[in-house]
Amino acid sequence: MKKNIYQPLKAVIEEIIEETPAIKTFRLKPEGGFKFATGQFIEMTVPGVGEAPFTPSSDPGISEKLDLTIMNVGEVTAKLHSLRPGEVVGIRGPYGKGYPLDKFKGKDILIVGGGVGLAPLRSLLFSLFATISNYNKVVLRYGSRSPKDIVYKNLIPEWAKRDKVDVLVSVDIGDSGWQGNVGLVTTILGDAPVDFTNTLGIVCGPPIMMKFVTLKLLDLGIKPADIYLSMEKSMSCGLGKCGHCRIGKYYACKDGPVFTYEQLKDIHDIWD
Amino acid sequence: METYFLKNDDLVKFYEHLAEDYDLYVPVREKSPVKRDECTCRASLPTDDYFLKKFSQVKKEDIVFNDYRAVEPTRAFFTHYKEEACEYFEDAGAKEKRERPVALCGIKNCDLFSLKVQDFVFLGGSEADPLYKSRREAALIIASDCPHFKEACFCRAFDINPYPTEAFDFNLSPLNNGYLLDIATQKAKLIAVSLKNLLVPATLGQISGRGAKRESVNMRMDEHLTQYKIPKKETLQDIVLSGYNSGIWQEEMRTCVECNACVFMCDTCHCFLLSDTSSSGSVKRLRLWDGCLLKNFTKVAGGANALKMRYMRLRNRYLKKFDFFVSNLGYQACCGCGRCIEVCPGKIDIRRILRKLYESR
Ligand code: SF4
Ligand code: SF4
Ligand code: FES
Repeated sequence: MKKNIYQPLKAVIEEIIEETPAIKTFRLKPEGGFKFATGQFIEMTVPGVGEAPFTPSSDPGISEKLDLTIMNVGEVTAKLHSLRPGEVVGIRGPYGKGYPLDKFKGKDILIVGGGVGLAPLRSLLFSLFATISNYNKVVLRYGSRSPKDIVYKNLIPEWAKRDKVDVLVSVDIGDSGWQGNVGLVTTILGDAPVDFTNTLGIVCGPPIMMKFVTLKLLDLGIKPADIYLSMEKSMSCGLGKCGHCRIGKYYACKDGPVFTYEQLKDIHDIWD
Repeated sequence: METYFLKNDDLVKFYEHLAEDYDLYVPVREKSPVKRDECTCRASLPTDDYFLKKFSQVKKEDIVFNDYRAVEPTRAFFTHYKEEACEYFEDAGAKEKRERPVALCGIKNCDLFSLKVQDFVFLGGSEADPLYKSRREAALIIASDCPHFKEACFCRAFDINPYPTEAFDFNLSPLNNGYLLDIATQKAKLIAVSLKNLLVPATLGQISGRGAKRESVNMRMDEHLTQYKIPKKETLQDIVLSGYNSGIWQEEMRTCVECNACVFMCDTCHCFLLSDTSSSGSVKRLRLWDGCLLKNFTKVAGGANALKMRYMRLRNRYLKKFDFFVSNLGYQACCGCGRCIEVCPGKIDIRRILRKLYESR
């Protein structure tokens, strides 16, 4: 059969993990396996409904399974959230450029996530863990609105136990059971145990959070070329053709979704 | 490139020959549906319009030589406004739909310029659009000179001449009681073999006669364009970037009714949206023309919209054409065809906007 670039592959939903009331992780079994590099994204099809772009949250080293952590925010995701294990969805991709891990060698890696933005970063963490000897340390700072909005509740404590890994979670608003840090994620960056002259900042979260985290990281002395941002844009084709995802002279789907702040800093209104 | 002379009366034989193997489209004249104000320069400009219609469906006597580009954008032959991009989860083998290739007559140099932009989008990148590719490769392009131009034409402002010199299979230049016919590609050569008895090699005199006609339309257009003071193409990227925060976008957008006609009539616009439908068991993915003047173009799930105001969308269109494409393709995504000018009910004029941006730098 001739390959059609708009045609998705079949993937069966094997398992659905409820992360928070609004966020689920879908564990898919793609027909024939699926390879991607961490940070690349896919277009996911809910048959007959439509597509939406997501960055996988699973270990890129495993091609038989694909995890997608998805918040219920729109038409496609609402339908997705109503699906059950055994049902079939479609996937297209992978698209775009992922994280350039070769440039991470010998560095302190400061990963800053907000909300469901931890999903792509989870995949990155798996990749970093697999090659941990290449980096000085991996520091994760994760901000969530409230304790019940935290994703990967069981995994995060395990990550914290790893060698060369440091994890701190903060919530905007605590509750009676919460004993951790309270405050915006920007307030827990200055104390991160890294050498800011040799640190890469990796940021993924809602646009407003990415904006303030970027400003904070610049303030702390990280160079624009060392700040990596996952840009969320309206997308349709994923192939650099439909025109939806333009950011200045780039397409988020083709030149991103991961950009350095150096690439974006002169473009107007990048956070809108 | 070989150049021959074809007599007026033989043009239809040429068409008939092409129609044997192609869905041939030929120019017909219609009274202009879009009336423009009279031009203030001295040139008397024609106001009729041309449409490219299927040869098999028009009366022979209605076929004309089009003096300038047709109303509709050429890209509409290669991506349709709404069409199936693919079916999916259909295991019953791919249904190869075979289309008859098109042969397009009356394609002008502005249209050829636009096709370069469309090719960059749909053939370029890591993967080509399969539908576009098969249509484009199979198509035959019979371009032609513009002996006249419309009020809205401004190709010369961007150094695009109103006569093609490349990127076609055939080109027709009207001359005395016939046409000079350029044969540019192998494909065209093969077709011409069976037309040998209609074709006489062009003389040097005829070639220089064509040159003089071309020079004359250049001069007339340059004179017509003086009044618009359109900035040079080398400055376009700079003026749209430096004009980012200019009030011009708001000023110019006051009369926009968001019909999106400027985008859909534009020959260099290319944006689309994939949209899924399901009916009777099969699920289809459609590819629909889309455009950044439409309100929801950049809306993401959850409701955020980077281009929530109309003036932002207008600005986006100019940034795409004059910044993005200049950076990625090396030239602007505007051929100066003026289709957007003619079709706009709010009289928003790209020539005026570019000039104002230039003057306000
Ligand atoms: S813009 Fe130029 S090439 Fe196009 S129709 Fe007008 S005169 Fe001809
Ligand atoms: S922007 Fe206007 S003048 Fe330029 S190619 Fe599009 S329709 Fe033609
Ligand atoms: S999603 Fe279509 S161009 Fe980027």
